Amino acid sequence: MSVVLEINDLSAGYGPLRVLHEINLSVQRGERLAIVGLNGHGKTTLFRAITHLVGWQRGSIRFDGTEIGGARSLGEGRRTPGIVRLGVAMTPQGDAIFPGLTVRQHLDCGAWSRRAWKERAKRREAIFDLFPPLRKLENTVVGTLSGGERRMVSVGRALMTEARLYLIDEPSLGLAPIISQRVVAALREIDVMDGAMIIAEQNVSLLDGQVDRMIGMHAGRLRGDVGHVELG
Amino acid sequence: MDLAMIVYALNLSAIYALLAIGISLLWSSIGMMNMAHGASFAVAGYGALVAGDLLLPGINAALQGSALLPLVTFVVLLAAGVGSGALFGVLIYLLAFLPIHDKANFAVRGLIVTLAINLATVQALLWWFGPRQQALPNIFGFGRLNLLGVPVRYDQAATILATAVLLSVVLSWLRLSRKGLEIRAMMQNAEGAALSGISVRRTALPVMAVTGAMAGAAAVLLSQTVYVSPGAGAMPLIKGMIIALLGGLGSVPGAAVAALLIGALEAATGVIPFLGQRMVLLVQFGFIILVLIIRPRGIGGLLDETRK
Repeated sequence: MSVVLEINDLSAGYGPLRVLHEINLSVQRGERLAIVGLNGHGKTTLFRAITHLVGWQRGSIRFDGTEIGGARSLGEGRRTPGIVRLGVAMTPQGDAIFPGLTVRQHLDCGAWSRRAWKERAKRREAIFDLFPPLRKLENTVVGTLSGGERRMVSVGRALMTEARLYLIDEPSLGLAPIISQRVVAALREIDVMDGAMIIAEQNVSLLDGQVDRMIGMHAGRLRGDVGHVELG
Repeated sequence: MDLAMIVYALNLSAIYALLAIGISLLWSSIGMMNMAHGASFAVAGYGALVAGDLLLPGINAALQGSALLPLVTFVVLLAAGVGSGALFGVLIYLLAFLPIHDKANFAVRGLIVTLAINLATVQALLWWFGPRQQALPNIFGFGRLNLLGVPVRYDQAATILATAVLLSVVLSWLRLSRKGLEIRAMMQNAEGAALSGISVRRTALPVMAVTGAMAGAAAVLLSQTVYVSPGAGAMPLIKGMIIALLGGLGSVPGAAVAALLIGALEAATGVIPFLGQRMVLLVQFGFIILVLIIRPRGIGGLLDETRK
């Protein structure tokens, strides 16, 4: 098995605040990994460091052999589109990233590659198969949807173009238990054959049996690589 | 309110809408307050002037006496204005957007850099063309069109028509094209757009060019009533900016509504006997201040997808 993502000594933060402390992590091809931990312990910051959205960062991040980390003097977000185009798909924390667009336009935004844009009608259908409630809402403005529906749109957008690394931030945040189970089940259905998926989540029992490996995160450090666990 | 006044109001609104929508669009999509918009306006006026000097004698000779002549002249001047406005937009992009767009406090830095570009451009125009006001060739003559019993000046009719066409082209481009989708995505959430692989740098270039082109169109259309001069951009810039503010900065429909309101207000103030033309600015600004006190987010604040 080859390595999709290899993180070495990654530190990151915002201004004087240091959130991540020398993180080391490697993710194998085909793996579904969960990073679990409480609020404010750096799960989101780790994702944002991979996509260059934190204030500052240093340390190496190798994605499929390409170095996408390193210290930088440029502002946050400048390299993000380039990293996305390398094949990293991230669903940010919270919802409805484009509140004024319809579900259909929102999904089209995710189809950045030339091929995905050409096939966007077919791919939208695939997303609607994955999240059936969205089919009826195709022409509804995203800002008026419920929390669960928005989360489905947000995940759906990330799936419009094939990625080799999916970063799913807090899929259950603010959702009713039954809906978050549906979202997690849909994540389970996504094919990550030649890539990998990392899910950041607080609710450990929700991910029970849905992922290959769990790592705890505490105070900006990864703690305890627990492998697959069955919770009673 | 008689009908001729409504035509005058629409004429003013059309030009204001071209400027205000450009400013609003720039702010909401790339977060830049473009103080060089007035310079785009002035540069486009001179672009049309130079193109007119170079091309029109030939066109006049070729189409001597033809009924098409005014139309061809109009198209040539408008194209020259739009083209030089768009080119100047690209120049602003290279100087004021590309180097600093990801630095801290870009909104303020952008304001300062574009203000500097504005001042430098006005000085450069003064140095090259001199302070003399110059008139574009009068395209439409001084004839009037009789529309349902209302006398409409040819240039007024052309301004209203050309603005309506230009704005519907720009707005449908925003609504229907892929670039338009990317721009609207960026307007609503810049970070989400970055995560969808939409690069600010690649999207900002067409936005700057299009808004520059809109300022250029406004310059050519307005030059039928106002002379072309180096400082010609100051008043359109100020009016465009306050109308964009009134419309709720960042809202395109809001800016259009605000332009209609301010155009109507200006036309109405001009004919009220005890106010008259000299009180126009006072009434306009008073009205805008009043609206912003009551509704700080402007007219469009509730209408739609504005930048928070």
